[in-house]
Amino acid sequence: MITVEELKNKLSLEVIGGEGSLSNVIKNVYIGDLLSWVMAHMKHQDAWITIQTNTNVIAVAALGEAACVIIAENAEIEDVTINKANEEGIPLLRSNLSAYELAIELNHYIKDK
Amino acid sequence: MKELALHILDIVQNSVRADASIIEITVREDIQRDILMISIKDNGKGMDEETLKKVEDPFFTTRTTRKIGLGISLFKTAALQCNGSFNLVSKQGEGTCLTAAFQYSHIDRAPLGNIVDTLVTLLMMEKEIDYRYVHYYKNNQFSFDTHEIKKVLDGVPITDINVVEWIKEYITEGLKEIVNF
Repeated sequence: MITVEELKNKLSLEVIGGEGSLSNVIKNVYIGDLLSWVMAHMKHQDAWITIQTNTNVIAVAALGEAACVIIAENAEIEDVTINKANEEGIPLLRSNLSAYELAIELNHYIKDK
Repeated sequence: MKELALHILDIVQNSVRADASIIEITVREDIQRDILMISIKDNGKGMDEETLKKVEDPFFTTRTTRKIGLGISLFKTAALQCNGSFNLVSKQGEGTCLTAAFQYSHIDRAPLGNIVDTLVTLLMMEKEIDYRYVHYYKNNQFSFDTHEIKKVLDGVPITDINVVEWIKEYITEGLKEIVNF
């Protein structure tokens, strides 16, 4: 079990929004950029890695009750998305790593779930 | 969505919920101008200005079961990400018309998908609703109107298995013809 806060510290993730919910627990990881697909397959308490940054991302994360959203490869994030993350209390983080590199790192912390 | 036809299926549900009796779906493959345009027009109850402003927001829905509705926002985002445009007009008591345009050749544009199955699914779902489907490919046009078909059917339900099989073949052949013309 790892919280978003702990993961943020371990991987030096940049907190962009939803700071109030960093105590969320991460159970698993999901990677995907096609939002409708993610909506159908992401599980409750997943850390979701994507390069999409429009507001729909926060809606999908809220709907799927993701533990957090991690934007890979330092993709630029629109202000409306950040505002929504704050409103909805969805931790929105960012990394310069790719989704694959993030997954490898995350594996160290998730595998003993 | 992996196919644009799934967006059509999704958006039409809004028209159904708005009590439309006629739903017009137009697909225009304008290869010369590199545009793929999809429009869905209904004669449902329409929306007031206030609602219209909010529907593109994913955190708005008229459903009471949950507070997030992504149908319209996903379609809009898909169009905009493909260098396209999105337009939604509505008038209370008259209906709603939604148009999404995509750059035809855009690498992220999802394929149109299975139009035949989409139309059949729609007319099976609400057999009281009339669907007008028009598909343009370059300068060729194919159209399909359940109102016309129902007239010929003379009381046989449009959901009759033989009728459905015929409709499937009719649309499949019609679409093939305009593409290979």
